[in-house]
Amino acid sequence: MGSAKIQAKHQVIPSELKQRLLSLLAQGFSHLIAITAVDRGDHLEVLYHLGDLNGRVEHLSAEIPKSNAVLPDISPLLPGSLFYEREISDLFGVKFEGLDSQGRFILPDCYPKEAPPPLLREVKPESVKEYISQAQSCEVQAFTQPAPLSPESVVVPFGPYHPALKEPEHISLVVEGEVIKKAFLRIGFVHRGIEKAAESRTYLRDIFLLERVCGICSTHHAWTFVEAVEKLLDLGPPKRALYLRTLVAELERMHSHSLWLGLVGYWMGFETMFMWVWGMREAIMDILEEITGNRVHKSFVTIGGVRRDVSDEAVKGIARRAADFEKSVSRVLEEIVSVDEFVERTRDIGSYSLKQARKYVTVGPVRRAAGDPYDIRKIEPYGAYGELEFEVVTADRGDVYNLVLVRLKELQESARIIQQIAEKIPSGNPVPQRYFMGTVRESEAYARTEAPRGELFYYVNSNNTHTPYRVKIRTPTLPNIQLAASILEGATLSDLPLIVTSIDPCFSCMDRIQVYNAATNTSRTLTLEDLLAEVKKRRVRK
Amino acid sequence: MRRKSLWVYHFNSGGCNGCDIEFVASLTPRYDIERLGIQLVPSPRHADVLVVTGPVTTQSAQSLRTIYDQMPEPRLVVALGTCACSGGIFSNCYNVVGGAEKVIPVNIKIPGCPVRPGMFLKALARLYGVETDGER
Repeated sequence: MGSAKIQAKHQVIPSELKQRLLSLLAQGFSHLIAITAVDRGDHLEVLYHLGDLNGRVEHLSAEIPKSNAVLPDISPLLPGSLFYEREISDLFGVKFEGLDSQGRFILPDCYPKEAPPPLLREVKPESVKEYISQAQSCEVQAFTQPAPLSPESVVVPFGPYHPALKEPEHISLVVEGEVIKKAFLRIGFVHRGIEKAAESRTYLRDIFLLERVCGICSTHHAWTFVEAVEKLLDLGPPKRALYLRTLVAELERMHSHSLWLGLVGYWMGFETMFMWVWGMREAIMDILEEITGNRVHKSFVTIGGVRRDVSDEAVKGIARRAADFEKSVSRVLEEIVSVDEFVERTRDIGSYSLKQARKYVTVGPVRRAAGDPYDIRKIEPYGAYGELEFEVVTADRGDVYNLVLVRLKELQESARIIQQIAEKIPSGNPVPQRYFMGTVRESEAYARTEAPRGELFYYVNSNNTHTPYRVKIRTPTLPNIQLAASILEGATLSDLPLIVTSIDPCFSCMDRIQVYNAATNTSRTLTLEDLLAEVKKRRVRK
Repeated sequence: MRRKSLWVYHFNSGGCNGCDIEFVASLTPRYDIERLGIQLVPSPRHADVLVVTGPVTTQSAQSLRTIYDQMPEPRLVVALGTCACSGGIFSNCYNVVGGAEKVIPVNIKIPGCPVRPGMFLKALARLYGVETDGER
């Protein structure tokens, strides 16, 4: 549940890929969960994981030679696949026929074109470091100049380091006056190469590493990885462990949502709301610290159970405190959402339809705010969710206001879930006798959980050794930022921080300028040389 | 160094967000570093202290240097968290340069994964000249 061994794959040849995709789409598998590439030694295998809205998952597998790694671009069928394809194209060197070459996506621009893609098995991290160190500079060159077709439109580089952003991310904005006409995103500023590092560490040590993908939903990362490994091992952890994992995951959701609610207040200029909510949030951080010993990276989940037990009395106390926290935050926020200023500032800001949300395969509260009850906890229950009662919160239209309401109600649902855990938690020993240190026989499995930001997907491939052969992570932000780019179009510059925060993305830099041609709806990337030549030409004309 | 009103600028050089949220938590009511006259500023040109979180990735290295160069003298650099101190668990990853000191001089290193807001507060208090138990 929430995870499964991949036993059946639909083998497909590249030329028939689109056909097979269309037939699966017609059967209801409209949600492209992820695209995974695996280096199989002499060839590459590309897996398309497709899910429907009821929890069924199908896997399409295409094998392509390494020397001529070409696949058709499926983004005309499924626009949400674009970023997945660009990621694989960067990390595995797969070419997607028909996909515009838009330069690097996740790797730095200084990564040489002739260098092998970093995620191929034979490529060692040291050699990649060597390639990058030979580059002259990886400097970000942000320039502003008038776009050629309209005298009013200019390209405004936004980020990567900007007061309105807490993480490095870069957006090139084509604006006409205050209005954003087009937004181009560039991610990869915080790309560290964790998937590669995971291949060289044992399963147990990988939990520690993968937890550090994200500091906010760290337990969900550890849990999703462990779910996949437990499937590979045919291991069912004790029920008490499942309840305790669920408890920590829900506390994490409460902390993540309240953090986000505070930030929304901050970016709309309502700093009091930020301070109130963050001050209250410390109650949850205290609970997490008491249970696990750390406020942020909990290291609570381990293969076959949890790292330590929590007594029944403690769980009851936690439920009481979580309920108090939920009440105080709800009281503050219900007050706030009835204030006209707040409503006017958030309603219809960054709005999108269900059709758009589905088109970009968005996940989590972003998808639910538009009306889809898409929640992994419900459609493919894992942990203790199958035995707990809770409601999937939805709204009828996506905008900042509805996202606030959805997350607020999810906070209340989390407190309800924790209450039930305190009542229903079974007895037993949730801590495994000893930590898992063995090998995992050859197999492959996937796992997905509902992290605070949405569906989190892991694919793990084992090969009879102590270390995984391949770990693929698809975080919820990747599909959601594609929607963010599309809803920024037509918004004003002043709404940008709010819209960006509403989706809760994590994207990064681009270090060359892009010129947008409004007539043909295309963009062109200018190098520094092009730009200097352009400036020179203009001077001559004068 | 303006000991009575340190202004800090925050730079995420590729971290997991763990140190960042703890840094922000130090600004909020429980820890409230503003009561010491410490303020988070949006521009490095106004800052006395640069707080770096996360391992330095290839793409962020140059930006880190540029931002450091923009700060007026005297300036201090705090590496917040194990990753900013040495690259931490990511030091061998292919897109990671290492700790902040590979790019800029670091004055204070605070290890931890992540650093508790209290530790950050303590380090800043030491900058004020507070040695132990609130005494100067």
